Amino acid sequence: MTAERVYRLLLRVYPSDFRSEYGREMTLVFRDEYRTRDTNAFAFWVDMLCDAGQSAISIWAHAALARVRHHTRTLEAIMKLAGVLAVLLGLFEAVNALTELVPAMQGTHGGAHFAAIVLGFVAAALLITAGTALFRGTLSGRHAATIALAASLVTIVVARLTHPWMSMLSQLVGIASPLALLAAMHWPRRIEPSTSAPS
Amino acid sequence: MAGNQRRVITPESQLPLAPATFQILLALVGGERHGYAIMKEVTARTDGAVRLGPGTLYGALKRLLKSGLVEEGGERADPDLGDDRRRYYRLTKLGLRVAKLEARRLDTLVRAARKKKLIGLEPA
Repeated sequence: MTAERVYRLLLRVYPSDFRSEYGREMTLVFRDEYRTRDTNAFAFWVDMLCDAGQSAISIWAHAALARVRHHTRTLEAIMKLAGVLAVLLGLFEAVNALTELVPAMQGTHGGAHFAAIVLGFVAAALLITAGTALFRGTLSGRHAATIALAASLVTIVVARLTHPWMSMLSQLVGIASPLALLAAMHWPRRIEPSTSAPS
Repeated sequence: MAGNQRRVITPESQLPLAPATFQILLALVGGERHGYAIMKEVTARTDGAVRLGPGTLYGALKRLLKSGLVEEGGERADPDLGDDRRRYYRLTKLGLRVAKLEARRLDTLVRAARKKKLIGLEPA
């Protein structure tokens, strides 16, 4: 087996995308180095092994870091979209509660109805707060959004139990949207293995 | 938040450079070179004190290409080394600026070391 073949085997310690991009060039450099080496073959191979070991660790680490950064950027974009959606849903809930406020103020359904609508407003405001916090995209914003979404969920359930004023659509939006957003934020994710790191 | 802002590559943000990276940029200041020529120049300039292996060299070149300090200058054979086509690399304007800034940074350090008499007044 020639030295060049052994070196080609050694190249397998590198990520495949790196190998396909620079493998040929590295083999050429190896060939030139081997031909003009000023040390004995053993010392030369020790140098090559050290170089491959050290550089492969660094290259794998950079590739992994690039994947994590890419993943984080995607997650940030999703969170921003979720933030906008939460604000829109909160506004929908607020408008819905507002349309119910007029008959409630006329007192036809009693104080419980009025209290339930006020709770509906509070839930809508919490949803808008969560959306704004999500849109900021910070870690503290995500924590605030989690608390606001949980509080919105509890508030809308209490409002529904206090007085059944909400339409089916309103209930669906009020209960399902915080649940869906909480699941989207906290669903365990794993970084998909890929053959090439994003540039 | 910082993570949301698009990362702008400024020359200052690249400093300090890793020793191997600075050696590669220095080798490319004289014009475009292929990988083996870069290795030889670094070994010669440092009297063999710094020897870049193929993995270290191409790992560093990949990062330099990605950060825009170096660009590819095409492929051609080197008449001194045979018929194989080799990829040539050259400094970008940003790369040259970063190399100058790093040289200045190191010069300031050396001046400070001289003032503290860690090294003599004359270059060692």
